[in-house]
Amino acid sequence: MEKKLSKKALTKSFHNWFYGHLTCFSQEHMQTFGYLCSMLPLVEDLYDEEEEKAKAMNTYTAFFNTEPQLGTLIVGITAGLEEARAGGTEDVDDETINGLRAGLMGPIAGIGDSLVVGTVIPILLGIAMGMSTGGSPLGAIFYIIVWNLFAYFGMRFLYFKGYSLGTKAVEFLIGAQGDAIRESVSVLGGMVIGAVSATWVSVATSLQLLNDAGEPYLILQDKLNEVFPGLLTAVFVIACWFLMAKK
Amino acid sequence: MTISWLQAALLGLFACLSSMPGMGGTSVGNYTFGRPLIGGFICGLILNDMTTGILVGCAMQVVYIALVTPGGTVSADVRAVSYIGIPLAMVALKSYGLEAASVEGAALATSFGAMVGTLGTVLFYGTATINLAWQHIGWKAVEKREYHKLYVVDMVLPWLSHLICSFIPTLIMCKMGTSVVELIKTTLPMDGIAMKTLFTVGSLLPCVGIAILLKQIVKQMTDFIPYLFGFTLAASMGINLVSATVIAGMFAVINYKIKMLSVNKAAVSGYDDDEEI
Repeated sequence: MEKKLSKKALTKSFHNWFYGHLTCFSQEHMQTFGYLCSMLPLVEDLYDEEEEKAKAMNTYTAFFNTEPQLGTLIVGITAGLEEARAGGTEDVDDETINGLRAGLMGPIAGIGDSLVVGTVIPILLGIAMGMSTGGSPLGAIFYIIVWNLFAYFGMRFLYFKGYSLGTKAVEFLIGAQGDAIRESVSVLGGMVIGAVSATWVSVATSLQLLNDAGEPYLILQDKLNEVFPGLLTAVFVIACWFLMAKK
Repeated sequence: MTISWLQAALLGLFACLSSMPGMGGTSVGNYTFGRPLIGGFICGLILNDMTTGILVGCAMQVVYIALVTPGGTVSADVRAVSYIGIPLAMVALKSYGLEAASVEGAALATSFGAMVGTLGTVLFYGTATINLAWQHIGWKAVEKREYHKLYVVDMVLPWLSHLICSFIPTLIMCKMGTSVVELIKTTLPMDGIAMKTLFTVGSLLPCVGIAILLKQIVKQMTDFIPYLFGFTLAASMGINLVSATVIAGMFAVINYKIKMLSVNKAAVSGYDDDEEI
């Protein structure tokens, strides 16, 4: 028997995820409760029997944590899988679903952190700060509108894309192609962060040596900038990286 | 400049919405209201001084521009930075008689952000720990198959965690903050060693934010090259952020195409081997 999720249930599931994925966060279960809440409308739509509902809900009690915004894709994929399971597809069971969730958490978190949090948000904030120079609220309003439209519709797109692609999306993300995407995203992220730090961070020295007449003949900051513009900033950022990465 | 109980309570409400496991959700709460620039905007509205709010928000935003919370590990929780740090910095600026737009003003603002950032981390772990109690109720509900209780557990009960760990600390800190700032002012004069140290630390903080983000990306030394390339684009060539992103996107596409070329090649040669057998 073929079962189909209603558009209403899918939308409710998406909204539960969009709002509630982290509201009840703890170090122990992280996004697990958000996941349960977003699967509940789907499970209620698909199953009538109390026993079947319990079986389906139990699947999603397993630990879950990823970058939640890009992670919407995973929720969409499991919505598709749950539908297939309810329709009687035999090769979808608890293990398939949870194996897939566990397998996708890491890669999605990696891409999400460098693409969404590391690239999109700093760029939008950078533009917004430029607009707010001098104390104008324009930049803040720009960020509120643009980021929220992007986040809501982007996540909505990912949810329904995951639902319609199903396991095909997994092949796309895990394996050689996924690695290529991750590496390219980190090239993009690295370059943008470089531009962000050169634009918004400035470490400078005021050290200067004076000659007999009291005029400076060596301004260290200028000399350093002749070697590589922004040298001190770059050195300090990399030094911070060393302290954090090597401890 | 003083903060009234009503204003402090409003700031407290926004602190509840904006923290990392916040009641506004991740996109609207943490990544919108939690960002210091937006926090400055909101604080400006609440405290009725938009220009100072935005300027302080901008100064703090630079420090936290690259704030990521990988896997739920928190380096600085934004609720304290945006809704305790910014109001107090605004009060302090007025009290010291500094211009928010000046270099000293920005340095003072960022040092206040850094001071309360540590408090935010404590509040973050507090919230997450109290949430464990609600989750316990949640597991009971799952056992008894009362699934609708999950909504209450996930979206209603955490408000209580935030009442304790976001609302009350913000309310008290902002209300009492004015007198604390006065105290700091008399004990730590502007040109004293302590204040100068704080300024220096404040101006180095943005490097830490960037370095946290780099930690996500740099796995080997060659990964620094894209970072330095982007840095050069902006610092030496004066290319702005959006144009630099376009260039970065081009390199990412090239990198992807090259990678896929070798992937497809491997797949093809693998197929050939099968044929021979």
